[in-house]
Amino acid sequence: MKLIEQLLSGTVTSIEVFFLTLIMALPLGFLVALGRMSKVKVVRVLVDTYIQIMRGTPLLLQLLFFYFAPYYIFNASLPRFASAILAFVLNYAAYFGEIYRSGLQALDNGQREAAKVLGFSKSYTFIHIVLPQVVKNVLPSVGNEVITLVKDTALASTIGVVELFRIAQTASSREFSTMPIFIAGVFYFIMNYLVSRVFDLLEKKMQY
Amino acid sequence: MAEIMVKAEHIEKSFGSTEVLKDISFTLEKGKVLSIIGPSGSGKSTLLRIITQLETADGGSLTIDGDPLFKSEGGKAVYTSPKEMHSIMLKTGLVFQSFNLFPHFSVMRNITEAQRAVLSRSKEEAEARAIDVLKDMNLLDKADSYPSQLSGGQKQRVSIARALVMDPKILFFDEPTSALDPELTRQVLSVIKALSERDMTMVVVTHEMNFARSISDWAIFMENGYIVEEGEPEVLFGNPKEERTKAFITSFKE
Repeated sequence: MKLIEQLLSGTVTSIEVFFLTLIMALPLGFLVALGRMSKVKVVRVLVDTYIQIMRGTPLLLQLLFFYFAPYYIFNASLPRFASAILAFVLNYAAYFGEIYRSGLQALDNGQREAAKVLGFSKSYTFIHIVLPQVVKNVLPSVGNEVITLVKDTALASTIGVVELFRIAQTASSREFSTMPIFIAGVFYFIMNYLVSRVFDLLEKKMQY
Repeated sequence: MAEIMVKAEHIEKSFGSTEVLKDISFTLEKGKVLSIIGPSGSGKSTLLRIITQLETADGGSLTIDGDPLFKSEGGKAVYTSPKEMHSIMLKTGLVFQSFNLFPHFSVMRNITEAQRAVLSRSKEEAEARAIDVLKDMNLLDKADSYPSQLSGGQKQRVSIARALVMDPKILFFDEPTSALDPELTRQVLSVIKALSERDMTMVVVTHEMNFARSISDWAIFMENGYIVEEGEPEVLFGNPKEERTKAFITSFKE
């Protein structure tokens, strides 16, 4: 039973990584989308390069980079946990940004035109006409990413963050048994089952 | 002398190197219905979109209900202040071919949202006005439905209602029945006809020749960015002077 307790405490850390990443990456993705659609070419190119790097290299490598690079450059490194959050946030914001952008561009221009001829201001149109429709349209893709994030938190173990997977691994080698890792798998499954239920509810709520 | 609601002079518009409108001038008096016909790509929709401010003109001048929206200065169209543009926009209403209802709002909210947010009407006031118009259109039972639950004809009537409750001085229709089958087309046309009988000033871009002939006081045939011919509907549809007009009208009679 001691094992379960240990795994649960690791799960708490995993959940912390999960929520901290979401709280920052979800809004940051919005800035990424705006940057990617910016009329200023420099901004567009910079944001595009950032997205290419984040999507084009392994997240595992990015975690290592944010943990070790500051040491070589500034001779000081961030705490493991902070490095992990930084890598996750920057990586996920890139994906969220692309999802938001496709959602914004997929919205029929007729919606904005109808709002304009009725006399709505630009900000009113964005908040009350554009946003609710875009949120509904991107919800399934965002859900997919969020589910991936639950599993990706396990990667934080590679830079020594003591979360669920790390604890399961340690227990595994201590007890010469793969059982702890299987139990961790069940934990991840349960977390993702809850996440997908939440997204099902949100989708149902937004149906029209 | 009748009040002039729309006065367009020498309007020009290009998209890149394509000249879409070359020299468009016409006037529309209060309470009259103008129909604009012509083949696809003739510039009809662009003209409506310039008047309703979805596009900007390159040259010419346009006056709506006495207020100049843009004036020709040095060969260019110079627009009035943003504030004035907004108040002119509120004098015009536009009904789209593809309805463009807001899918996440109920029918009632589609019709009341702009009244409240733009005209600052109270909820009660806006709803009372919406109910009046929905009753006229035989759609009162659909007030709580969402656009996805409506037929095309119902959607278009809701979109007409949405434009009407804003009390525009002139209502513009951009091919309002082109996305509808013949039966639904009839529903929508009868609504537009009822409006014309109540002396609503309207401009209708349409391919429904018989309808255009029966409701309009004046008709324009456009092609390649020019007004080829204009006149009384009886003449333009019955016995047009220009060969091109004749050919276009006959192509619809088969």
